[in-house]
Amino acid sequence: MQRHKFVDRMYQGKVSRREMMKAAGAFGVGTAMLPRMATAADILTCLEWGGYDDPSYYQPFMAKYGEAPNFSIFAGEEEALAKVLAGFAADVMHPCNYSVGRFVSAGLTVPIDTGRLTHWDDIFPVLKSAQGVVVNGDVVMAPADWGNSSIAYRPDLVEPDFLEDPSWSILYDDRYAGRVSTLDNELVVQIGLMVAGQKYEDVYDMTGPEFEAAAQEWGKKGLDTARFLWTDATTLQQAMASGEIVAAYAWNDLVGNLRNEGVPIAYANPKEGMFTWFCGLTLLNTGSADDAAAYDFLDAWLAPETGKLLIDESGYGHANMKSFDIADPAAVENMGLTDPVAMMETSLIFLTPPDAVQEEQTRIWEDLKALQF
Amino acid sequence: MVEVADTAVRAGLSGPRHPADPARRREARAGYGLMSPALLLMVAVLALPLAALIVLSFWTQSGFTLDRTFTLANYWRLIAPSDREVEWMGLTFRLAYPVPAILIIKSLVMSLTATVAVILLAYPMAYFLAFRVHRNKAAWIILLTVPFWTSYLLRVFSWKVVLGYNGAINSGLMSLGIIDAPLEFLLYNPAAVTITLAHSWVSFIVLPIYVSLEKIDRSMLEAASDLGDSKWKRFRRITLPLSMPGTISAALLVFIPTVGDYVTPELVGGPGGTMIGSLVQQLFTKQNNAPLGAAVSLVMMLIIGAMVLIFLTLIGYWRMRARRAA
Repeated sequence: MQRHKFVDRMYQGKVSRREMMKAAGAFGVGTAMLPRMATAADILTCLEWGGYDDPSYYQPFMAKYGEAPNFSIFAGEEEALAKVLAGFAADVMHPCNYSVGRFVSAGLTVPIDTGRLTHWDDIFPVLKSAQGVVVNGDVVMAPADWGNSSIAYRPDLVEPDFLEDPSWSILYDDRYAGRVSTLDNELVVQIGLMVAGQKYEDVYDMTGPEFEAAAQEWGKKGLDTARFLWTDATTLQQAMASGEIVAAYAWNDLVGNLRNEGVPIAYANPKEGMFTWFCGLTLLNTGSADDAAAYDFLDAWLAPETGKLLIDESGYGHANMKSFDIADPAAVENMGLTDPVAMMETSLIFLTPPDAVQEEQTRIWEDLKALQF
Repeated sequence: MVEVADTAVRAGLSGPRHPADPARRREARAGYGLMSPALLLMVAVLALPLAALIVLSFWTQSGFTLDRTFTLANYWRLIAPSDREVEWMGLTFRLAYPVPAILIIKSLVMSLTATVAVILLAYPMAYFLAFRVHRNKAAWIILLTVPFWTSYLLRVFSWKVVLGYNGAINSGLMSLGIIDAPLEFLLYNPAAVTITLAHSWVSFIVLPIYVSLEKIDRSMLEAASDLGDSKWKRFRRITLPLSMPGTISAALLVFIPTVGDYVTPELVGGPGGTMIGSLVQQLFTKQNNAPLGAAVSLVMMLIIGAMVLIFLTLIGYWRMRARRAA
C-alpha cells in the first residue's frame, strides 16, 4: 500500500523533492527529469588534458571524496579558454607555464593560498617562483608536472642522417612526406623558423606580415609533410606503433608507452634544441564547487605518490622533490635529467607571447590549415 | 520538401485563397492546435538558437570581451576585397579573408560529389527492392537499417580502420602481393571524407527512392511494353520520371546536412580535408571569435537555402514545361 500512500501524499503536496527523486529514480528517470544541479552537485569540475583524468593521478582526493571530479577534456589551452569564456563553469584548470597568463589576462583565475597546500614546502624552489607560477605577484598555478616536447622517432625507420644529427627539419623534409606528424599548433611555424636558423626567443612572439610570411613558408611546408596533425596523443601513439608515422613532435609519455609495448622508439635531442614545459593547476573563478575540494585536488596532484606515478609510467618530471626519492630508480635513470633547473638550463623553455600576438598566431595558423588541400 | 514546393506551385496556379471563410479559419485553428507541440519544440530548439545566432553575428569579439554594438563588420569581413591574390585549385580569390569563401566552395563540391555517389549507389538498391523482391520485404527493409544500429561516430571511425595505413584494404592488397607498401592516399584527404559521407548516407536514401518506385502503377509499365518500348526506354520514360520526387528529396536529404558536416572531416580528413563546419567549430572554440563563426554559419545557411530554392524552381519549371508539351 506504499504506492497509494505515495500518490495521496503527492496530491496533497506533501512529498519532498528528495522523496520524489527517489521514486522517479526507481524508474530510471530521476536525473533525466531534473537539471544536474538539483541532484547531487558535482564535487568539482576540472578542465584536464586527456589521460590526466585517470584516478591514479589524484588518489588522495579519491580516498577523501569517494568519486572523481567531473572532467572536461581539452586538446589545447586556447580551446579550454574559449570554453570557459563561453560559460563553461570549471573550478580547476590544468594550464602550463606558457599558457596560464592567458587565463590571468581573461580575469578567470583566483590566486592560490599556498598555506592551504600541505605539499607546498616540498616543491622545487625554482618552480615556486618561476614565471607562470607567479603572475603579478600572485601564485596562480600550483606546479605539478614537467617534461619535454621533442621528436619521438622510430630508429628502425628513419634515414641514417637523422640518427647522426637529429634535427627538427625532419618534420619539413620532403623525403618524409606523409610519414611524420606534428601537434596541431602554431609551433609548426615557429619550429620551422628555428630550422631556418632563428632563435626560439626571437620567433615565439613574431607578428604581422613577418609571421604570415613564415606561415606561408614553414607552416605550409609542415602541413604538406605531415600525414595528419595530432590533437590527442593516442592517435599518434597508434600511428607510430604501426610504422605509419616514423617521427613526430611528441611528449615524453609517448616514448615510455611505446617502449613498454616493445616498439623500437627513441627520443631525439635535436640540434635546434628540445623544449621544456611545466604545467600545474590553476583555480578558476567560474566554478561553483567548495574551494576546499579544489585545494584537496591540487594537494593530491602535488603528492609525492602522484609524482612517482608520473615518473614511473610516463617519464615526466614532478614538481615535488620527494617524488624522485620514492620513484623507481630505473625510471629516474631513464629520464636523464631529474633536476628541473638543469633541465631548463639545457633546453628551451616555452615562453608566453602577449595576448594579441597569441590570438594573431592562432588565427594565421587556423587560416593556413583551412586552405590546405 | 518537394511535395511542399509542388503544392505551393499548384496553389499559386489555382487562384486566390479565401481567408475570410469561417470554415476554413476553424480548420486552420485546428491545424495549429495539432501542430502546437511540434511548433513549440521547434521554436524552443530551433528558432530561438537561430535568433541568438543572428544577433551574435552582428556583434564583434575583441580579445576577451564581446562588443555588443550593432555592426555589419563580420559580414563585410567575409566579402571584403583586397589586392592580394590567393590561388586555390586554379581559382583566384581577391579577398582580404578568403578562407570562408574557399571552404564554402570546397564543402559544396565535396557534398555534391557525395550526393551524386549516394544516389548512384542507392537507386539500384531501391529498384531491386521495389521490383525484384516479392517476399519478406519487411525483412529487407529492416536489413537496410542495420547500419543505423551503431552510432554515426563509430561508422566514421570504422572507415578509418578500413582505409588506414594497416587497415583492411591495405593489408588485404599486401597479403595478395599486389602492393609492397601500404597505399597512403586512401586516408586523410578530401576523397576519404567523400567516401565516408557517401557510405554513411546511402541507407538513409534507399527508403525515399524505394517508396517512390513502389508507388509507380505497374500497369503503366505493362502498357509501355505492350506498345513496344524496350526495357531501357521504358525505364527512361516511365520509371525514372515517376521516381523523381523521391530521388530529389533524397538528394536534398543528403546534400543539406553533409555540407556543414564537421565530425567526418575531423576524423578522416587530415590536414587537407577540412570543410566549412570545421572552420565554424574553430571560430567558436580555438579562435574565440563566436560572432564571426555565427556570421559564417548564417551565410552558409543562406547559400544552401538559395541553392535548394533554385534547384526546386528549376524542377517546377521543367515539370510545367513537360506538362504543357504533353
